[in-house]
Amino acid sequence: MFTKIGLAVSFSPTGKALLCEAKRLSDLTNADLLLIHNGNKTTETEIRLDDMINSVGIEKSKIIIDWVSGEIADSIIKSAEKNNVDLLLAGALEKENLIKKYFGSVARKLMRQAKCSVLILISPSENPQKFNKIYVSTDFSSDGERTIKLAHSFALLQNAKEFVLLREFNAPGLAYTLQDSTTIADVEELRNQWLLDEEIKMNFFIKELNLPILEPKIVCLFGKEGWEASNYAKTNKADLFVVHQPNQKITFFDKLFPHEVDYSFINIPTNLFIIR
Amino acid sequence: MHFSSEHITIFLLSIAMMLLFAKVFGELFTLIKQPAIIGEIIAGIILGPTIFGTIFPDSYNYIFNHSEQVNIALNGFITLSVVLLLLISGLEVDLAVVLSHGKKAIYTSFFSLIIPFSLGFLISYYFPNLFGIVESNSNLIFPLFMGAALSISALPVIAKVLMDLKIFKSEVGFIIISSAMLNDLAAWLIFSLLLGSISNSSGSVSFSTTITLTLIFIGFSLTIGKKIFNSIIPFLQDNISYPGGILNFILILGLFSSAFTEFIGIHSIFGAFIIGIAIGDSVHLKEQTREIVHQFVSNIFGPIFAVSIGLKINFIASFNLQTILIILFLGYLVKIFGAGIGSYFSGLKKNESLAIGFGMSARGEMGIILSILALEVGIINEEVFVALVIMALVTSITSAPFMKFFLKEKDKLKLDNLLKEKFIFFSTATTKEEVIFELASVAAKEMNLDKDFVFSQIMEREEILPTGIANFLALPHAKIEIKEPFIALAITKNGIDFEANDNNLSRIIILLLTPSNQNEIQLELLSKIAKTFENIEFSKKLITAKTQTEILKMIRKS
Repeated sequence: MFTKIGLAVSFSPTGKALLCEAKRLSDLTNADLLLIHNGNKTTETEIRLDDMINSVGIEKSKIIIDWVSGEIADSIIKSAEKNNVDLLLAGALEKENLIKKYFGSVARKLMRQAKCSVLILISPSENPQKFNKIYVSTDFSSDGERTIKLAHSFALLQNAKEFVLLREFNAPGLAYTLQDSTTIADVEELRNQWLLDEEIKMNFFIKELNLPILEPKIVCLFGKEGWEASNYAKTNKADLFVVHQPNQKITFFDKLFPHEVDYSFINIPTNLFIIR
Repeated sequence: MHFSSEHITIFLLSIAMMLLFAKVFGELFTLIKQPAIIGEIIAGIILGPTIFGTIFPDSYNYIFNHSEQVNIALNGFITLSVVLLLLISGLEVDLAVVLSHGKKAIYTSFFSLIIPFSLGFLISYYFPNLFGIVESNSNLIFPLFMGAALSISALPVIAKVLMDLKIFKSEVGFIIISSAMLNDLAAWLIFSLLLGSISNSSGSVSFSTTITLTLIFIGFSLTIGKKIFNSIIPFLQDNISYPGGILNFILILGLFSSAFTEFIGIHSIFGAFIIGIAIGDSVHLKEQTREIVHQFVSNIFGPIFAVSIGLKINFIASFNLQTILIILFLGYLVKIFGAGIGSYFSGLKKNESLAIGFGMSARGEMGIILSILALEVGIINEEVFVALVIMALVTSITSAPFMKFFLKEKDKLKLDNLLKEKFIFFSTATTKEEVIFELASVAAKEMNLDKDFVFSQIMEREEILPTGIANFLALPHAKIEIKEPFIALAITKNGIDFEANDNNLSRIIILLLTPSNQNEIQLELLSKIAKTFENIEFSKKLITAKTQTEILKMIRKS
């Protein structure tokens, strides 16, 4: 599934926990580990890193360490690309403060700009647990199709208990129709009809994907695209929310008026798996 | 100035009359499938100086022009109505939608704003006499107003048209709505600044101060303000009486903001509109809340405003055919050209671009609000006002039929548009392979493809998972390199096992081929076909049909 997992390693309070999580994933997928350290390579840091690796119990033969310098997020992205990493692991706070929201943080930059899939853990643990409830944001594009297939394989690999496909849709401006002789009951009926249509489409979509063993549950949601699914995953205590990486580069206006996956990037609902 | 019992009586009587006429005519127009706003405006023309005032001048003056006190009270009520209408319009403006729909929405928004504005400005700047304006060319106010008036759109009318045409949730629907939202924001901004500059020419606050404060107000509302509202709304919805609490919160904020923008020198409507956008952007604002606010405002304040238009002016006395025809022509031309060209450049087809152009040409209520405010401050005369109102009405009435015309026959996602008689046949096949080969042969012949290739693609998909649905329907399908979807139908004499959910053998075999890169189209058509056959009685009737024409007729009727 993955051949090389990258982790930006640091000596922060969550550094060891992230390494433990990386080890679990590496064992699960039989992938090699690339540890990326931004900072000078000194004897002291080498010893500290070695100690940390030993304490986690990772086989040295499965590890490569890349010492990088420069702007943190950029150097991690470059290192991951250079070393053919196909999954990058990082920790992140659930919410950004206002300044970071508009000017960016390391984790948010990785989420958007990494050239590989990114797994963001909001509370990594030194005693990592498998993901039992995996929720996937669904769209019908080929990227969306690939995201679901990969998420499904990932769910099967760790024997997840719940695999939920969330389909959101919206009709901005629907309430305008109420200004012109439409009743609330008409709008409600229309919305229910749309929900039914989406459910039928989802059933066909799943059939087409032919996902064996772990049958997905379908949930269709009406509301702001991106936020509804993210909120549903959070409310239902999913332990992994899967989305596919947006193709467009984020602009200031996207930050000002978040849409689609931006909501999950700004307020991370749970552990977030961004598939590229 | 004393507000006596008689004043109160007349004030209440006039409001009641306005509401009564608005409701009756609004409902009548709804019955004939026209926007209710048109009926409400006509109600105003009947009640106003044009008809009632001409026939019964004394009664008209007694009710609608009674005294200064009553007029002030009525004007206050109408101002409140306009402010609330703009507040609820702002609530629905979702600028993120423009961003999320990428190039198509951005191109359409941009061109449907810039072309109408530029043309409106240039024509009225160089040829003001076309509109009966005889002032010198150096006056920019009228041309700027005409630019804004031609750029604006009528979201409520457009939304209703999209709903009636069942394309609200389609790509065309999204593009029209998102572009109209952006157009309205820009047009209201321009117009409010214009009003600001007029009122400031004699006022105490300098124009530069007004501009600075306006920018600060917009910046604050759409960043920090928006975030604050987003945090407060869930608390209010969960902890205080619903819907009263949240309804009050929205109205209070709207009125405070309106008062603020009026104070800093731009019109009160702008404050309501911007704060509406900031509140409406909240992810926590329930759909139900939006609907309640809309119902509250549009059932009481909307009709009052609509009727008040006709009360202000004698439409016959100010009727100037030349001005009307010019404005009407411009009203269509600039929007169809602007929105049409924008959507065409963004990659939409010609018919879709024209449909978008006509869809966005509806000016409705918003165009009229803009005009009435311009009339009040003397930017336009009564003849131009009447022409703008008529343009708003005509464009609103015609947008639906024109859109329908351009989208009708071209909708490639409609089952009855795709299925033709020559693609329907009766089969004696007894196996899945036989009937699929027959269907593949029809498809291959029509699309100049190799029939063995088409057959292999369908079978490949069939082997992954059988495509029996239920009610005697089987839906073999595949994605192949074609440009448009293709549908063929076979009625088999013998039932064939496609492993349908209800264990019935299939006798209606529909082949669906869709372009390989368009998942959504395949799903859309699969679900439409499945829904068509959700009733077993329909399937039973179809099986007994004797001719292709009969089958097609039944499907079209379904």
